[in-house]
Amino acid sequence: MFRPNRRQLLASALGAVAMSAARAQEPVISGKSPMILHNDRPEDLEMPNAYFVEWLTPNDKFFVRQHLPRPEVKAGSFRLAVNGLVAKELALRIEDLRKLPQHKIVATLECTGNGRGFYRPRVPGIQWGRGAIGNAEWSGPCVSDILKLAGANMDAAFLESDGADVGVAKTPDFIRSLPMKKALDPATLLALDMNGEPIPQIHGYPARLIVPGWDGTSWVKWVIRLTVAAEANHGFFMNPGYRYPKFARPPGSPPVPAELEVIEGMRVKSAITKPSEEDQVRLGPLTISGYAWAGEQKILRVEVSVDGGAKWKDAQLTPQNLNYAWRLWKLNWTPPRPGYYTILSRAMDSAGNVQPFVAEWNPSGYLYNAIDRVGITVEKAA
Amino acid sequence: MRKTWTAAFLAASLFAADVDTETAKKEEQRECTACHGLRFIHTQRLSKAAWGKELDKMAGWGAEMKDRQLLLDYLSSEYSDTKSIPQAPLSSDGSKVK
Repeated sequence: MFRPNRRQLLASALGAVAMSAARAQEPVISGKSPMILHNDRPEDLEMPNAYFVEWLTPNDKFFVRQHLPRPEVKAGSFRLAVNGLVAKELALRIEDLRKLPQHKIVATLECTGNGRGFYRPRVPGIQWGRGAIGNAEWSGPCVSDILKLAGANMDAAFLESDGADVGVAKTPDFIRSLPMKKALDPATLLALDMNGEPIPQIHGYPARLIVPGWDGTSWVKWVIRLTVAAEANHGFFMNPGYRYPKFARPPGSPPVPAELEVIEGMRVKSAITKPSEEDQVRLGPLTISGYAWAGEQKILRVEVSVDGGAKWKDAQLTPQNLNYAWRLWKLNWTPPRPGYYTILSRAMDSAGNVQPFVAEWNPSGYLYNAIDRVGITVEKAA
Repeated sequence: MRKTWTAAFLAASLFAADVDTETAKKEEQRECTACHGLRFIHTQRLSKAAWGKELDKMAGWGAEMKDRQLLLDYLSSEYSDTKSIPQAPLSSDGSKVK
């Protein structure tokens, strides 16, 4: 690995002091370790590469995406309204939800726009890199058990969910509709806990929808209403928001509204989180590592190339092999000589899908999943 | 003489641009920060057409723009898609803060 000389150590120390001074001016986000700060009001926080070392992402390091100012929901006054096409409307307290059978699931949550910053031409929105993703154990009642309690019409087409967050000025409310088939899936939960503790406020306390394998937009936070409905909600966050072109068009083309579809499952993807882009390392053994996941599928294989894609080697995967959850991977490698190396990673899922060389450009920069690529410089050993 | 005039013209242009930028920044502060922080804007690099669409979307969501053209010129100049995006900073450690 890179071994600095005295001058480099001094420069590094001075740099650290300067960084520390600079960092002191950056906002503190309660309950959060230092995160890549895309926005502080409302908070949009990306996980830095250095944190991708645990299969379950700790709550303090989990990424955050918020569309609207964060609401403060109090346990005492919280009520979950269950209404619409139901036999009996309900207003459930947290205690009522905890009395229902509790289920646990480990599932990866990825922002629909994770990787948007890699698209060219650039598109509006948060310029996420690799870190708008995390993996956690979620627990709470199945959504289907809540609906049974209300005598819901299970043949209805949609379940609409509304969070306690509200728009400022004329900003639309964040309301999403989930096809009833997915809402009734036993893996779809209304989570009360995240990694064994009540869901932190910034992640949706006290109740967050868990929609395993689907894009983060479906995982509504601070849920205060579930409505059984015959139609999907017509609000901005269902249409035109969070839609993807049915037919790919040349990069830079404007959207064709009639050809946009609601995003559902996420695609097979891997990313390299170590080393980082433009790293400089000393000649010697290296560990290349990252994450891979595939929405509702399992990850079967991750391959790594250290020569720009001429040859590929299988990476070692973490043992947990579950639908909905990521696998971390690593490959030990000793560069043969100094020089510049292009490292690539590609994943394959249980349905045979393989990561593409090029992600489909789309006007909102969703679902980025191209084979990942990092360039590093290996310097002579000291 | 020509050099003097050129220098004077350049200085005047820069001065004028500065004034516009300062006014635009005030407008940006006034119109945008009711709903969100400015980082959300300043971390993007877009074409003029794309900035125009964003301004229209924001107007539809309640932003009251006194001078849309000024804002558009400012955003497409300062945050153009021809410029690179600086590395986003890290937030300060709040892991022990309740």
